[in-house]
Amino acid sequence: MGATWVYAEVTPEGTLPSALELLTKARTLGGDVAAVALGPGATNAAGELGAHGATTVYASDDQVFADRPGRPAAHTLHQLIGQHTPSLILFPGSYEGRDVAGCLQALTGSTLMANVTDVAGPSRAQTEIFGGTKIVEVDLAGPEPRLVLVRPKSFPAEPSGGTAEVVMVDAVTPTGPTATIVERHAEAATGPKLEEANVVIAGGRGLGGPEPFAMLDDLAAAIGGAAVGASRAAVDAGWVPYAYQVGQTGKTVKPEVYIAAGISGALQHVVGMKGAKRIVAINKDADAPILKIADLGVVGDLFQIVPALTEEVRRRASS
Amino acid sequence: MAVIAVAVVVFVRRASARMTLLRAAPAAARTADPGARARRELAHVLGQRKLFQKALPGVMHAFIFWGFLVLFPTIIEAMLAIVDDGRSLPVIGQAPWFLFLVDVFATLVAVGIAIAFYIRKVQRPDRFRGSHMEEADKILIAILGIVATLLLWNATKIALGQTLHPSAEPVANALSNLFGTGQPTETLERVFVWSHVLIVLGFLAYLPKSKHLHIITAVPNVYFAKNGPSGHLEKLEIDLEGPEEDLRFGVATARDLSKKQLLDLFSCTECGRCQEVCPAWNTGKPLSPKLLIMDLRDAVAGVDPAAGEPTGEIELQPLVPNAVTDEVVWDCVTCGACMRECPVDIEHVDTIVDLRRNLVMAESRFPTEAGTMLRGVEGPNQNPWSQPASARTDWIGDIPVRVLAPGDPAPEYLFWVGCAGAFDDRAKKTTQSVARLLNAAGVDWAVLGGRERCTGDPARRMGHEYLFQMLAEQNVATFADAGITKVVATCAHCFNTLANEYPDYGATLEVVHHTELLSHLLAERKLLTTPGASGTVTYHDACYLGRHNGRFDPPRDVLGSTGLTATEMERARERSFCCGAGGARMWMEEDAGTRINDTRFAEAQGTGADTLAVACPYCFVMLDDAAKAAGSEMRVADVATLLAEALGEPTTRP
Repeated sequence: MGATWVYAEVTPEGTLPSALELLTKARTLGGDVAAVALGPGATNAAGELGAHGATTVYASDDQVFADRPGRPAAHTLHQLIGQHTPSLILFPGSYEGRDVAGCLQALTGSTLMANVTDVAGPSRAQTEIFGGTKIVEVDLAGPEPRLVLVRPKSFPAEPSGGTAEVVMVDAVTPTGPTATIVERHAEAATGPKLEEANVVIAGGRGLGGPEPFAMLDDLAAAIGGAAVGASRAAVDAGWVPYAYQVGQTGKTVKPEVYIAAGISGALQHVVGMKGAKRIVAINKDADAPILKIADLGVVGDLFQIVPALTEEVRRRASS
Repeated sequence: MAVIAVAVVVFVRRASARMTLLRAAPAAARTADPGARARRELAHVLGQRKLFQKALPGVMHAFIFWGFLVLFPTIIEAMLAIVDDGRSLPVIGQAPWFLFLVDVFATLVAVGIAIAFYIRKVQRPDRFRGSHMEEADKILIAILGIVATLLLWNATKIALGQTLHPSAEPVANALSNLFGTGQPTETLERVFVWSHVLIVLGFLAYLPKSKHLHIITAVPNVYFAKNGPSGHLEKLEIDLEGPEEDLRFGVATARDLSKKQLLDLFSCTECGRCQEVCPAWNTGKPLSPKLLIMDLRDAVAGVDPAAGEPTGEIELQPLVPNAVTDEVVWDCVTCGACMRECPVDIEHVDTIVDLRRNLVMAESRFPTEAGTMLRGVEGPNQNPWSQPASARTDWIGDIPVRVLAPGDPAPEYLFWVGCAGAFDDRAKKTTQSVARLLNAAGVDWAVLGGRERCTGDPARRMGHEYLFQMLAEQNVATFADAGITKVVATCAHCFNTLANEYPDYGATLEVVHHTELLSHLLAERKLLTTPGASGTVTYHDACYLGRHNGRFDPPRDVLGSTGLTATEMERARERSFCCGAGGARMWMEEDAGTRINDTRFAEAQGTGADTLAVACPYCFVMLDDAAKAAGSEMRVADVATLLAEALGEPTTRP
């Protein structure tokens, strides 16, 4: 078979994980493996791409790739394909990957398979249907190169320890109407890393408003490595953003310790935290369902208990 | 003659574009029980029944519609008069009773038009937002022109002495005083009859491309509407072994719409009655059932029927998100309020579910937070909350309950507890109340315990038909194994699915809702209450019990025997407003606009009642959450719990 190429998304800050995942997979398919990295940061990325299995890196640091979405990358790839005739090109299923692959398919007229979860060979891919309940294998027909869009995190990224020859390429800038990126805006990541925290402290309707969440933040800071979450009721009331929500329609957490403050324990919430090793519940209502599943239930006023707990944690930490 | 021919040719050519689309569309299995279909035709079309759901617009439309039925022969008469002056229809042409009817109904049509303009220009109801108002104005003016020229034509004939019974036409007779007997009137007589015919023909030519096409399409659309409960979704055949080209997961492009679904689109008059009652639209969300139908219609009209069969060259645009956005498709609570209001029996919910089927099964595209529910229903515990199957009997406590083991003798009634009834703390109270009441009444009943699994309803309303079918087949097999013939369910969604949809998968069950069974037991005096409870209660109709299945009275009867004083919300019974949980919305976040459950709860609070009675665990959870969010003292409780309390059974308040 011919070569397998990976469309590697790069930024001046480094290579995106998808490129390394796809290269790791590409190594297993037999045939040469090359990466195509277009845009500022491309030549710098060559080392890492080589270390994950690319023997050749076609690179261009041209600013045009960062300024104009899709088309310049697709046209440049199209020219490279004409020169090197790869059999298969793997794209990450990202916004950029889909943009470039779709545009390239229009130029090559070859097969484009989207939403792929595994690549079994140069002309065989897997995807999921029925909401992920069935896996189907798909034959990729038509002229080479076959284009495949792979879902993120479908494969682990494992280094091969190799190095790559860097081949500099010139950007092909298509004529005709084109979109230009006028602004980039990074949405600041809000909310805690709930799923990874060892201790989760969650607040519910019993907090009565957004301000008391500061109390939970204090406790989390005192414990260290703890994250603050919330029940749907607190999120629906607008006290904290959706990113805090633990439960059926929010995040599922499995911390060592889960502290539920002012949460009654509706099924919707319990579904998201019942996997915690230890559950501590603070509630003024002795009949609250949360107390039935709690390892330690404290019936009382959370506005007194939480600050006292924070105090005690600090005292023990410092002694 | 030439003019008539031109108009007919234009009409046929314009209409044939739509006919080609219709012919190419997959058939809908909607021919069973022609008797019921004919009766519906009589009631909904001739009787205008659904139009009269709104009084003034109903009168307006009935005047115009009935008027046109009566006036149809006069159009032919006018055409005859153009071809050969002086000729008229045999038998009825000069019959006094017919002339009288024509005169009266032509006048009523004019009155109808006046009412229509009053509604549109003075009342200006919000339901018209997004409709084509100018098109409607043109049509109304054309209709007014048709009857005005008719009356004036008749008036000139009276003035010229051509009518044998002028007194049979009071209006035209009065108008005839405007005209003399000489040449000018003879000219005017020609002008009026020609104007009359030209407007009619112009109208005919305009018709196929306008929303007024409903005068033709509504007739078959009503005929092919769903027989039986509106809560019944039709089975989707998924043949994984068949040819790949035939594999369809619901509706992706315009070519996947069934004949009925296309007729729906061509029948919409943009009246907006659906929009006016839609819970999503009323709480500030993008979905309006009217705009959905209009947007789909516009997309379908863009499909070139001349292109013939799909060749692979023509890439049809997916309807979502090109015609309607993803958000619109997911906003629907499937409450059926739109379908119940629609005068021409458009089935919005079925089309929305078909769009969801394609998104979920072919594209795996749905609000991510609902994924937890789908994974839970799928497996291994087969319930939306992924609770262990063994916990399905946790609600029992010290209540004497027979849990059916395999091989046990079948009970008279299987109590289908449902996932919410088994796992949700609030719904469990309902389950316990029902269990105590069934015991008190001496009913022979049992539960399946850990062998029960989700009916598949939430998956089905999400569009995951495949998952639903797996669950349906498993549950139907369990029923058969256990020899179950009668089922009582507390969940309105389980009830609808078991009663209406499981028969499609081989179930032969008699399914009742717990409020029906309790009402029956009260009537049979197997449950005796001393109506001792005090306080006021307002009852919230669950969509899948009430509007979709017509069970309005049993829960009210049960409440009536408790001694509580009942008050009704403004939107009650057929016009009840959803709690916000249907259509698998229970499992999705509600970010846009205001919350449906808060809106409904505020309405309940407005009655001043101190208890809000519910008859479905979804409604219970949604409205109780709303009560808590509002910090309200109003109690939310199931009808069964209120009855159990009135009987003196000890139950704890939630």
